Amino acid sequence: MSTTAALIALACGAVGTYFARSGLILLLADRSLPASVERALQNVGPAVLAALTINLAVGDDGLGGMEFAEAAALVAAGAVAVWRRNLIWTFVAGMATLWILSALT
Amino acid sequence: MPHWIAWLTAPLIFAGAAQLAMITLAGTASLWAVITAVLVINTRHVMYSAALAPTFRHQPRWMRWVGPFFMVDQVFALGALQTHRSPADFRRYYMTAALTLYAVWNVVVPLGMLVGPVVPDSWRLDFAPPVMFAGLTLFAINRVPAAIAALVGGFVSLAAVGLQDRLGIVVGAVTGVAVAAVAEQILDRRHSVARPPDAGS
Repeated sequence: MSTTAALIALACGAVGTYFARSGLILLLADRSLPASVERALQNVGPAVLAALTINLAVGDDGLGGMEFAEAAALVAAGAVAVWRRNLIWTFVAGMATLWILSALT
Repeated sequence: MPHWIAWLTAPLIFAGAAQLAMITLAGTASLWAVITAVLVINTRHVMYSAALAPTFRHQPRWMRWVGPFFMVDQVFALGALQTHRSPADFRRYYMTAALTLYAVWNVVVPLGMLVGPVVPDSWRLDFAPPVMFAGLTLFAINRVPAAIAALVGGFVSLAAVGLQDRLGIVVGAVTGVAVAAVAEQILDRRHSVARPPDAGS
C-alpha cells in the first residue's frame, strides 16, 4: 500500500471511528426518547460486554479452541466479580487461575 | 505501510483491534477493504454511543464532542457503571479514565513497535481483556432484563464467532438487547396483572 493510500485509510478510519462513537450522542443531545427506548438502552452495556467477552475469549476457533485453563479463569473471575464487586480482585483471580492451571496442565 | 503511519493509528483511531486490522491488512488488501474492515470492527461503538447518549445529554457541549473520541471498550465499560453520578462527577470520572488510558496506550503502542515482543507469551496477557470484561459484564447486571441481555448476547456471540471482522459481537449485542426488551415488556405486564392499580391504596 502506498503512503497516500495508507494516509487515506488512516483518515477514513479515524473519522469513521470518531463518528461511530459520537454520532448518536450528538444526534440525541437535545431530544428525549420514549421511556421504553431509554430502558432498552440500559441493557446495551451488559449485552455488548458479554458478547465482547465471549468473542475475545474463544477467538476465531470457537469453543473447540478454548483451553480448560482459560474457561476456568473466566469462571473464577466471574465468581470473584459477583463475590467482591471489585475489578482488581476479579482480574487477579482470573489471571492467577489461568497461570496456575496452565502450569499444571 | 510506513512505520510512522502505523504509529499514528494509536493517537488518531485509538482502537486496538481496528488498528491491528489496518496494519495487518495494509500489506495485502485493497484500500477499500482496509477502510471497511476498520469501520466494521468499530460498529459496536455505535451501540456504546446509543447507550451513553442519555447520560451525555446532561453534559456541556464540549464534553459531547470531546468525550466520545476516547470511548474504547474499557472506557465505555467503566463509564456505563457510573451513569448514576451527577453530571460533573461523571465527567470527572469519565475523562480521568479516558485520558489515563489514552496516555498509556500512546506510550505502550510505539514502545511495542520499537522494542518488539518483550513480554513472554507464557504470561498470557492476551487473555487479560476477556477476564477483565467478564468482571465488568457482571458488574453491569443490575436488573433481570440486563441479565437476559448479557446471557443472550453472550450465547449469540458464541454462535456467531466465525463472522468476519468481529461482527459476531454486534450481532450478539443487538440480539441480546432485543430479547431483553421483549422480556422487559412481559415482566411489566405480569407485574401489572399481579398488582392492580388500586392494590397499593
